[in-house]
Amino acid sequence: MTEQLTSKILVLENDLKQLAFIKQFADEHSLVPLKVRKNRLFTVLKSSLELGAIILSYSYGGSEGDTVELATRIHAFRPELPIILRVEDEFDLSSLPETLKRICCATFSVADSQGLQQAIQEYIFSLVYPNALVRGISEITETALASQFKNLTVSWETPFIVRDRLIFGEVYSLIPLESSWCRGYMTLQTEEMPVLHWLGESEKIHTEVNFRNVNSLLGEVTNLIWGAFKNRFIGDESVIPGVNVEVPLVVNHKHKYISFGTENPQLCFLYTLTNEERTWSMKIYQRFVFNLRWAPEKFREIEQEVDGLVDAGELELF
Amino acid sequence: MAKILVVDDSSTVRDEVSGFLSKNGLDVVTAVDGKDGLTKLQANPGIKLVVSDVNMPNMDGLTMVEKIRSELGNSSVNVIMLTTESSPNMKERGKAAGIKGWIVKPFKGEAVLETFKKLAS
Repeated sequence: MTEQLTSKILVLENDLKQLAFIKQFADEHSLVPLKVRKNRLFTVLKSSLELGAIILSYSYGGSEGDTVELATRIHAFRPELPIILRVEDEFDLSSLPETLKRICCATFSVADSQGLQQAIQEYIFSLVYPNALVRGISEITETALASQFKNLTVSWETPFIVRDRLIFGEVYSLIPLESSWCRGYMTLQTEEMPVLHWLGESEKIHTEVNFRNVNSLLGEVTNLIWGAFKNRFIGDESVIPGVNVEVPLVVNHKHKYISFGTENPQLCFLYTLTNEERTWSMKIYQRFVFNLRWAPEKFREIEQEVDGLVDAGELELF
Repeated sequence: MAKILVVDDSSTVRDEVSGFLSKNGLDVVTAVDGKDGLTKLQANPGIKLVVSDVNMPNMDGLTMVEKIRSELGNSSVNVIMLTTESSPNMKERGKAAGIKGWIVKPFKGEAVLETFKKLAS
């Protein structure tokens, strides 16, 4: 795994030449372009929870009116996703319909991709995440997952940036992270059935397994990651005194949607836990949203004294 | 039979630790937080070892240890913290309250079983 962050962008473009340009741009800017058939667009938008942005071609709808209508529907459906409009070279932007000007966060053409570059920087890669932090999160999470799901193999994808606010699965944990360099939350999200299945198969629970066991297990994994995060990246430092700004978090159960009261993109990791025979797996999404403070220049890894270091799980006697 | 009190707000941890210790011949009582821990300790005078989490609702583990010593006047029961915390400040506070040891989670039963048996006997 590399610490280079990526982001998935949905590309709504019919022109093969333009698609080739976007693909090349994506390769050069750590983006993963995703295509979707027109008739599946809203199905994908409804369920996709890994998106960073949408690139929409001005000609995608067929006519200007149809493109405006489509953009309006997309924006109404997923307003958190920035729409970047691709226009023809030499296009007179002043002639752009007012609706598109309002809905789209930027425009670009093949001849001038500055708008695309700026939008990606501004809306996706706007927060800098130190490599040591990204690598460390993967390491401590793998250890925490492996300690609780003992006979499963843990693997993970390259971490990515999302602007999606959709919730994966049915079980969701949330814990605050607070330090002089960050204030925000970590969440874990997973589906209930695979965890119930695993608990039923494992010898972890000796009574009939139910959703409370799933909740408790996800809670404990969250606790283990939180503790390791604190030990490795925060230490004994206290939060800046007097800084206690809070914003309400809003959860819409019907739409499986959570808002942290910020437009900030989120740092996302996807872990897959697989059984030995590789016939069964479960997914756990981990997201970090630093909505209250982000000062990566103050980030540091806590140096552990090698002498007298006691491994996790071992007893340090006093 | 040696009796151990396991205090943790997570049922996953309580089940894991108490299940392992019971399987290895120890008598286990569980509590869901520090307050409950104090009650269970008072109700079970045979308890020789307390294994407790630090971060818990209602009453944290270190406050519970301080109250075991001050309010219950019990200076003999051995206490080991089992927690995700590894902060030197917290360990110092635990030492001052007379804890015997510190384990950073996750729990690895085999690594500590013999010591637990000794401390609980």
